[in-house]
Formats: sequence, structure tokens, C-alpha cells
Amino acid sequence: MTADVRFLIVDDFSTMRRIVRNLLKEIGFANAEEAEDGVVALSMLKANKFDFVVSDINMPNMNGFELLKIVRSDEALKSIPFLMVTAEAKKDDIVQAAQGGASGYIVKPFTKATLEEKVQKILSKQA
Amino acid sequence: MAPLDAPLQAAAEQQDAETAEETLRRRIGQLTRTLHDALRELGYERELMDARANLPDARDRLAYIARVTGEAAEKVLNAVDRARTVQHELTEKAGSLRSRWQVVTTYSSGGRGCTPAGKELVDETCEFFCGVGSQADRTNAILTDIMMAQDFHDLTGQVIRRVVALAQTLEEQLVRLLIETTPAAQRPRIDPQELQGPVVSPHGRDDVVSDQKGVDDLLATLGF
Repeated sequence: MTADVRFLIVDDFSTMRRIVRNLLKEIGFANAEEAEDGVVALSMLKANKFDFVVSDINMPNMNGFELLKIVRSDEALKSIPFLMVTAEAKKDDIVQAAQGGASGYIVKPFTKATLEEKVQKILSKQA
Repeated sequence: MAPLDAPLQAAAEQQDAETAEETLRRRIGQLTRTLHDALRELGYERELMDARANLPDARDRLAYIARVTGEAAEKVLNAVDRARTVQHELTEKAGSLRSRWQVVTTYSSGGRGCTPAGKELVDETCEFFCGVGSQADRTNAILTDIMMAQDFHDLTGQVIRRVVALAQTLEEQLVRLLIETTPAAQRPRIDPQELQGPVVSPHGRDDVVSDQKGVDDLLATLGF
């Protein structure tokens, strides 16, 4: 099952995308692709089948909140798990993410254990 | 108040307002000059000059820092990937050898031609192979820590981006304010409404400055 979950990692910093991708691989999820902002992510989501989105908030062109809003309002995408992984630690941002339909929220810097816990928790709710 | 005092009063108030305005303009101009001088000082750091002779301003230097730190993080991640591959190969080989040595152990424990020293060597070797797996796990955990530490590029990069945007906004607003508060006779032919961020193509235009020298020259004409 874990090998089948297809992740989309969205972040404008390539090193962070790579870190998240490697961590997902370490916890058993080897199937992941990357997007550098919300615009690219949205086109990838519409063109291909993804089972899980891991997204930053602060990105050019389309930020994580905007991407989340569009995903949750799209009939084909609205149920996809959407995990925010961001440096934004303001309470308002966390509340906004939750109210916008985010499945989880991780603040950078984070640990492998935190990512694994959140991903497993979200997937178990989906099952 | 006597009738003749009222015009004098108005004139005095007018004079005070103009003096205050001139004082404000001068202080803003000095602040703008201080900012430009500080940015110029950053740009003339000896090691940055040696390394990047073509970088004209502080914003480019911050972008350089972001790029170089990103390249360093990528190098570390590449090295971590290579180290993991070595660890994996080591673990696989150790497991294969352990299986073969365990056959030897079974054979020798039957008393068929194994000296005590030889048996001790076999036992010690099997123990070593058994330990390689757990050592590889510990090494991989350390490699994960090294990989996670590269998140500095993301965190510092976001801060650098905001500082660059702040510096640019502040500089533009100060220059705009300075021009708007400059008396018309001293104001050069620049419309403040056109100051809207980086100029993509300054060629053929006489209403924009294209580099830091242009800004410095403009401020110099205004007396700062």
C-alpha cells in the first residue's frame, strides 16, 4: 500500500523538496514528484493522479493557501490529503490552513519522526 | 490682535512651515544618502569584490549568498546519497558473508577439522557480520541528521528574500518621497508615478535610472 501512494511535493526551494522526498522514501513512500510553486503543482494535479500533497506556503506565483483553496474547490481534487510544511508559525496562518481544509500542518524545521507521524495519521484517516 | 499683525502672523507661519518642510526634506535626503552609502559599503567588501567583480549592488550580493548556500546544500545532499549507497552495499555484502560463515560454523561444530583458534575466528567473524547491520542503521541515522540540517538553505533563503524586498521597497519609497518633496526648480525630469520596481529595459528611456550609479548621481544633483 505505501509504495502505491503517489506524493506531490510543492516548495520553491529545491533543497527542501529533496529533503522531503528523501524522508518520504525513508519512511516507505518512494513514489514522489516535485513542483516549485502552486501553479506548476495545480497543472500536475490536474494532469496526473496524485494521492497526497505536501506543500509549502510562501511560494511565488501561487502560494500554498491559494493552491489549497483551488484544490478544495475542485470536484476531482477536493478529497486529496493536503499537508502544509512551512516556516510560517503564526497562529493566524495555522488557523487559516485548518479552516481552508488542510489535512495537517508542520512547522519548519521539522524532524523525520514528525513527518512520518503526520503522514501516517492522515493516511489512516483516509483508509 | 491689531489689523497689521494678522498678515505678519500669516507670513511668519508660512515661513515656519517652509522651514519645517525644508528641514524634513534635508533629513530625508540625509537618511537616503546614509542608506545608499551603507549599501555601497556592503558592495565593496574585499572578498566579495574579489569573488564577484560584476555584482553592482547589495541585492545582487544577497542573491549570490542564496545561490551559493543552495549549491552547498545540494553538494551535501549528493554526498549523503552516495554514502547511503555505500552503506547499503556494505550491509548487503555483510549479510551474504554472514550466511556463508554460518554454514562454516555448523560444519565446524560437528568436530570436523576445526581447531579451537579457528572456531574462535569463525565465531568472531560471524559476530562482526551480525553487527554490521546495526552499525549501518546508526550511520544512516547520522546521514539523515546531516540531510535534515540542510534545511538551513530554505529558512535562510526566505529571510534573504524578505530583506532584499524590504531594502528595495525602502529605497524606492525614500527616493520617491525625496523627489516629491524637492522644490520644482530642483526636481529633475523624473515622474514619481513611474517608479514601480526594477526596470527591465532602460535603453532608450530618459525617465529612469538603470543602475546604482544613476541613483547616486540623481541624489548628488539634489544636493545629497
